Amino acid sequence: MTFHDRVILVTGASRGIGAAIAKAFAAEGGLVFVNYRSSEAAALAVVEACRAAGGQAVAIAADVTDPEAVAAMLARIAEEAGRLDAVVNNAFAPYVFDPDRRARFWETPWASYQAQVDGALKATYNVCQAALPLMRRRGRGAIVNMATDLVARPSLAYHDYTTAKAALIGFSRTLATELGPLGLRVNCVAPGLVWPTDASARTPEAVREMLIAQTPLGRIATPEDVTGPVLFLASEASGFVTGQTLHVDGGLVMA
Amino acid sequence: MIETAGHLPGLPAGEVAWRTLEFSAWGEHVQVRVPELTTAQAGALAGHVRENARSYLRTLPVCQIVTTLDAAIARLLDRDDPWRRRAEAVLPIVTGYDRESVRLGLSGSLRSFRAPQLQRFLAEDFANPAVLDGFQPAMKGGFTRAQGPQLLLHIWAGNVPGLSLWSLICGLLVKAGTVGKVASAEPLLAGWFAQILAEIDPRLGECLAVVWWQGGDAEAERAWLDEADTIVAYGGNDALAAIRARVPVTARFLPHGHRIGFGLIGAEALDTRRAGPLARLVAQDVARWEQQGCYSPQMLFVARGGAVSPREFAERVSQELGALGLRHPRRALSVAEAAGLAAWRSREEMRGFDEDGTVVLGEAGDGWSVVCSEVARPLAPSALNRTLKIVAVDSPDAVPPLVSSARAYLQTAAVAASPRELFRIAALLGEAGVTRICGFGAMAAPEAGWHNDGRFNLLDLVRLTEIEQSAERAADGFADYVD
Repeated sequence: MTFHDRVILVTGASRGIGAAIAKAFAAEGGLVFVNYRSSEAAALAVVEACRAAGGQAVAIAADVTDPEAVAAMLARIAEEAGRLDAVVNNAFAPYVFDPDRRARFWETPWASYQAQVDGALKATYNVCQAALPLMRRRGRGAIVNMATDLVARPSLAYHDYTTAKAALIGFSRTLATELGPLGLRVNCVAPGLVWPTDASARTPEAVREMLIAQTPLGRIATPEDVTGPVLFLASEASGFVTGQTLHVDGGLVMA
Repeated sequence: MIETAGHLPGLPAGEVAWRTLEFSAWGEHVQVRVPELTTAQAGALAGHVRENARSYLRTLPVCQIVTTLDAAIARLLDRDDPWRRRAEAVLPIVTGYDRESVRLGLSGSLRSFRAPQLQRFLAEDFANPAVLDGFQPAMKGGFTRAQGPQLLLHIWAGNVPGLSLWSLICGLLVKAGTVGKVASAEPLLAGWFAQILAEIDPRLGECLAVVWWQGGDAEAERAWLDEADTIVAYGGNDALAAIRARVPVTARFLPHGHRIGFGLIGAEALDTRRAGPLARLVAQDVARWEQQGCYSPQMLFVARGGAVSPREFAERVSQELGALGLRHPRRALSVAEAAGLAAWRSREEMRGFDEDGTVVLGEAGDGWSVVCSEVARPLAPSALNRTLKIVAVDSPDAVPPLVSSARAYLQTAAVAASPRELFRIAALLGEAGVTRICGFGAMAAPEAGWHNDGRFNLLDLVRLTEIEQSAERAADGFADYVD
């Protein structure tokens, strides 16, 4: 039980990869704060699944792009748990991965970039700022930010989404440099296409087959594939690893 | 593993009773045999040492003593020398300090006793060190000669390897017949050093002895106190008071009691670039010898107003202590030490619950403890063994009043400040009772020739014999060449 007595916040955890991550922490004995924006019923179902898996869980609503909401969420975590050992910044702005209808660069307004930067970068910024006082007190802890392997290998040109995630990787490396002397680690997990999730539902079979054909491990990632690397980077098992981006895409990207 | 402590020239080992002290650490065990001398043996040994010092040591020019000491230190600095290898193998088990700490710490302190450093010792106290060899013209007129004690007794304490060498070497430099009583917590190094000296110069080896008795054994202690004309003693105030009560009124008693070291960091040292390296140096000072040395920091005063706040600095020191603990693990604590540390932690945690801004960083299971207080607190001991209290102050000027109540225990303060501030603060700290101001990272490594507890290491040991001008003038009248 790697996360027994440990407290973990997973943002955007009511569904998809976030929900799988929350359940995985719970299965390792952790107390998981399941953050969601509006899908309360889904979040409560994740909480139930966490408890069934052997951990503890609390659903906690907050729009992570709203600094005040995030501050209130962290105040509640401080009050209820008194500590915070790991944060997984998983929430991102709604995005549909549809290769057949994607916006090409000349069709992409700045507002789309801004929306993705807000969803990936500003949300992570807000959560990190609010979580740091609680994490610094113990002088140890880990932040795991969800990126994408598209930054290293833009198989499909999702301009706004990939650019925002690239910024998130730079943000994470810089933050890792700042927080290392304080005992905190910051890393990224960069999955390839994860299926099935709500976001990838529109990715057609043909595209998936194309990716599978180029992937050494010969399949598409499932949400559960992502949980192991996230737990690793959140745990003491990776105690000397910071500023890294761990690709979880079956070997599509090797770096 | 069995080791024999002490150095007993002239006493056949077979006639001496030995007691065995047991030490375990790092999964190894060592038995150390320490001599238990009868009063008669102590008397005979004292006579032997006194007589040999008179007939040999006092005839040596001080520069030759420096050469011999330098050769002995060189052997202990040589990692291939059998004595050095023995020290590196055995001292970690006896003291509990990890091997790397012993290795680095030994070399660090031994470096202070090579020939150039010993000359510095001499020059620091004597304008003309030849005054130890013969009469030298005095500024006021006439001639002066400095004589060391006939029999100088050292009573050492604690388990910091090499600490005994400071006073042992000072005594030999002033040509004193020397007897050192080793501490039960580290009974070996002084005896080894004596044996190395005896290998290099067998006759010098007859001029010093290294003995042991159970601390507080009044009878054994009195036998030696009655023999010595000068006594240098280390320990807590109670132990020193008990010794002082038994010292003959005609003997000179030089006590070195417990000390509390501290550090002071000005706001100008706390920018975002330099705070990190500074935190590393603070952690090194805290970890060195588990704060058992008199010079170790137990509290750190950090000025507000820098880019890095006292609280953030405390976090950085914590992190550095954690990292250092992986390279140099803390020695295993005794039950009493662990209980003392836990009590200190929980007292500070209670303060935190009172919401006075006290924060205990890290966890009880960590090999270090850092407390950060936003409320100015007077200097007080930490729980040692890598425990540090960091106190936020509005300015360095707040510090002297916070340390002055511990005046009797002050010695070393590390200061990080601009040159102008350093000298301004040094004046205030000196007035408060501080006798040594150093940079961070150097707290546990006093420079050669430092004045321990603000006193003269060599001058305090000697007695001057002066030929006044009147005697010189009168002698002229009795010369066979007088007109």
